[in-house]
Amino acid sequence: MSITLRGVSKQFGAFAAIDDVDLEIPTGALLALLGPSGCGKTTVLRIIAGLETPDTGQVLFDGRDATLWPIRERKVGFVFQNYALFRHMSVFENVAFGLKVKARRERPAAGAIRDKVQSLLELVQLDWAGDRYPTQLSGGQKQRVALARALAVDPEVLLLDEPFGALDAQVRHELRRWLRRLHTELKFTSIFVTHDQQEAIEVADTIVVLNRGRVEQTGVPGDVYDLPRSAYVHRFLGQVNELRVKWHDGRAHLGPIDITGDPALDAYGSDRIALVRPHEIDIGSASNGWPAIVRDVRVIGPIVRLELCADGQPANEPLEAEISRERFDMDRFHIGQRVGVRFRRWQVYPAAALGSARASRA
Amino acid sequence: MEAPAIAAGCDVSAGRRLRKRGPRPGVRWGRFLLIATALAFLAAFLLLPLLVVFAQALSKGAGVYLSAVSDPMAWAAIKLTLMVAAIAVPMNLVFGVVSAWAITKFQFRGKSTLITLIDLPFAVSPVIAGLTYILLFGAHGWFGAYLQEHDIRIVFAVPGIVLATLFVTFPFVARELIPVMQAQGKDDEETALSLGAGGWQVFWHVTLPNIRWALLYGVLLCNARAMGEFGAVSVVSGHIRGLTNTMPLHVEILYNEYNYAAAFAVASLLALLALLTLAGKSLLEWRQPELRHAVHLARVSPGKQA
Amino acid sequence: MTARSTGFMGSNDSATPERTEAAHGPAARRAASTRRVVPGFGLTLGYTMLYLSLIVLIPLSATFIRSLGAGWGHFWAVVTAVRVVASLRLSFGAALLAAAVNAAFGLVIAWVLVRYTFPFKRLIDAMVDLPFALPTAVAGIALTALYAPNGWLGGLLTPLGIQVAFTPLGVVVALIFIGLPFVVRTLQPVLEELDKDVEQAAATLGASEWQTFSRVILPALWPALLTGFALAFARAVGEYGSVIFIAGNMPMKSEIAPLLIITKLEQYDYAGATAIAVVMLVLSFALMLGINALQSWTLTRNGGA
Repeated sequence: MSITLRGVSKQFGAFAAIDDVDLEIPTGALLALLGPSGCGKTTVLRIIAGLETPDTGQVLFDGRDATLWPIRERKVGFVFQNYALFRHMSVFENVAFGLKVKARRERPAAGAIRDKVQSLLELVQLDWAGDRYPTQLSGGQKQRVALARALAVDPEVLLLDEPFGALDAQVRHELRRWLRRLHTELKFTSIFVTHDQQEAIEVADTIVVLNRGRVEQTGVPGDVYDLPRSAYVHRFLGQVNELRVKWHDGRAHLGPIDITGDPALDAYGSDRIALVRPHEIDIGSASNGWPAIVRDVRVIGPIVRLELCADGQPANEPLEAEISRERFDMDRFHIGQRVGVRFRRWQVYPAAALGSARASRA
Repeated sequence: MEAPAIAAGCDVSAGRRLRKRGPRPGVRWGRFLLIATALAFLAAFLLLPLLVVFAQALSKGAGVYLSAVSDPMAWAAIKLTLMVAAIAVPMNLVFGVVSAWAITKFQFRGKSTLITLIDLPFAVSPVIAGLTYILLFGAHGWFGAYLQEHDIRIVFAVPGIVLATLFVTFPFVARELIPVMQAQGKDDEETALSLGAGGWQVFWHVTLPNIRWALLYGVLLCNARAMGEFGAVSVVSGHIRGLTNTMPLHVEILYNEYNYAAAFAVASLLALLALLTLAGKSLLEWRQPELRHAVHLARVSPGKQA
Repeated sequence: MTARSTGFMGSNDSATPERTEAAHGPAARRAASTRRVVPGFGLTLGYTMLYLSLIVLIPLSATFIRSLGAGWGHFWAVVTAVRVVASLRLSFGAALLAAAVNAAFGLVIAWVLVRYTFPFKRLIDAMVDLPFALPTAVAGIALTALYAPNGWLGGLLTPLGIQVAFTPLGVVVALIFIGLPFVVRTLQPVLEELDKDVEQAAATLGASEWQTFSRVILPALWPALLTGFALAFARAVGEYGSVIFIAGNMPMKSEIAPLLIITKLEQYDYAGATAIAVVMLVLSFALMLGINALQSWTLTRNGGA
């Protein structure tokens, strides 16, 4: 089922949670709504589910106006952040719930319900837990039950609200992989909300980045990461170094590096800042590039993070660079060493855009 | 790496409609019905009785009302009620504080049994409460002979009334304090001790300020019950007009004499006391919201002992 | 073995090792482990036990002892006498019925107070405690005046053939008044703490409003409902002041057990009075134990996320 949002806005009291949002989600998409707390992503999800009603705008399911449809008619599966399992029911009864409350004409026979629940429990690898109660399960297990429960009614859309937030790193990693596989197998439309850009990039086919109730950018993970359209997105999707663009004799510089040709520098004398990702920094000999001193070296598994104090930069704003382990093993940079810094890529933004986009990252 | 056909961004779309929605009509009717039922029930069972008291009290005019209330017998009853409360409430206050201290600051075996025992008077009919004191101090009671010899009167006299009132209001202060002090734990007290304060100082300067609202709350309820107690006092008092009649008993006497207006007049004073109690209760609950839910539970759950 | 404190104030249990390593030997260690940091244990516990015994325990035990003073046979004869049985049946039966009515309406009232807004809600919420604060005698005469044949409500009901005052029905009405706050106040906190997500989950799974209520909400409320019911029942069984005026007090028909106790007392039939009292006490204590068990069950069932 495809979902379209048109001009959707929602206010809570004086607080504008979402402001004029347009989204198109084709059937079978695996989409992430990404942003920090308060950006409106959960509100968008809940509006799609019918748990909130928009103040303005339309929600279309397969082209039909579903804005006023009650929750129970939307055929959406919703997985809550804190699982919301029925505590007084066993795992089996939880998963069977959606089937048991169907109207008499639509309700499957008891045997059919049992089979379906069993197969779902097998799907989520909890077939042994049918008689257990939610209080006896771990967080990851509860989340899987919640998922099975939502899938039991054959929803056309699966909505997940920060589904893995409360879990350990290892469990989170497994469940993410597992959700992708499930999505590929069962082919439903799937939308999940997260504030963790790592999770969004790992799981989703499409990412929608939200900021203060508005959509900042939509695209595949690679594009959103490599071709950010705003400083906000650039900063939110990964680490960045911020460098002030300095003007000298009519030429623009980052340190000693001349970047005058950059099309984003349209006004002489305007305040501009360049954002550079750690892995977009090249480190070579001191004579080749911006001179800097290595302040710290951290070997983190397959990558090595270097803290560099470039000449002319304040001491409390070091550059963070990331290089591959292989590279590091070859060059063996050490603390105190003088090196030369070059930038493979950078993106220039107005300084004002950064000031207003001080988003907190995951 | 082509982005698939997905529209994005802030589009100025046509068709802006401002819409205010509430629940659907079916739900709205159900809601209305439930509220109406609840309010009707409350009106019939709570509001009307209250109104009847005042209506009947004033039914023969303000003159009769005032004379009923200022009648010497009524005055004696009022004074006795106040006196009994003035004795019983502080005593149970001290007990409440002491027992709450013992229960919440220390670990010991039998704690939950102790709590159950403190709650016991709630499970006992007030008439039985009065009965027990007759059995002890009545003419044929255990100590009856001894008391008669020494011409000490307990039952059918004020001391008996005080004892009976103590019994029925026994748990009130403790039950308010225990959950609150339980939740507060021992940290503050231990901190004060580590800073060199003595036991009394710790209690006075650290514990007491922390529990003052709960304390006030318990005293309020204890007082309301103490002044309003009927069954237990009725058994123990001997109904001697002017001497051993509290206000509730006086109301009964007037009522049994068919002096309805006067009976309701005195009753209206008690009703006013009840309303004041409710007002005080609401105020304190607003002050310390945790008090709201401590009131009517049978006891603190055993699992929650510190 | 003493537990190591995590800091000077850290430990939660009452054991505190000496700070100087003067834990010479097991005896000293044992002594240290039972010493309490906060002072006053002996004093407060002692006073508590003393006061409790004097005011509550000893008087109650006197009742039990006196009841058997004339022998078990006499006790049994008293308790099975027709009039006594009738009064017990009325007291317990009316209390049961009243508590059931309170459970049903109390649920509605608690629901309405927690979930909906309407004018004067705060005031009405405070008023729910009126039966708890109002002296029982005042309630008694008020209810009688209300339901007497010429009363505001009695006047409406008598033409319909319904007699409330001076009948067992009046007893039930009075007991409903008395027990109302117990159910409402027990339910309110539970209703307030219900997880909204769970209700929304049920809705997304296709449950109707009624199905959500009956399958998801009500099961979570049962323990509290039963507790409130039991509390209202316990209170109603021994009630005297509110009932005595509206009851009619005719032996065998509308005489409650506490009144019978008083009657026997006035006749100096101590054995009889105490026998009835003991039966009531035993049943009430059993109730209290049941309530406590219910509350433990509530916590284990709904505990954890």
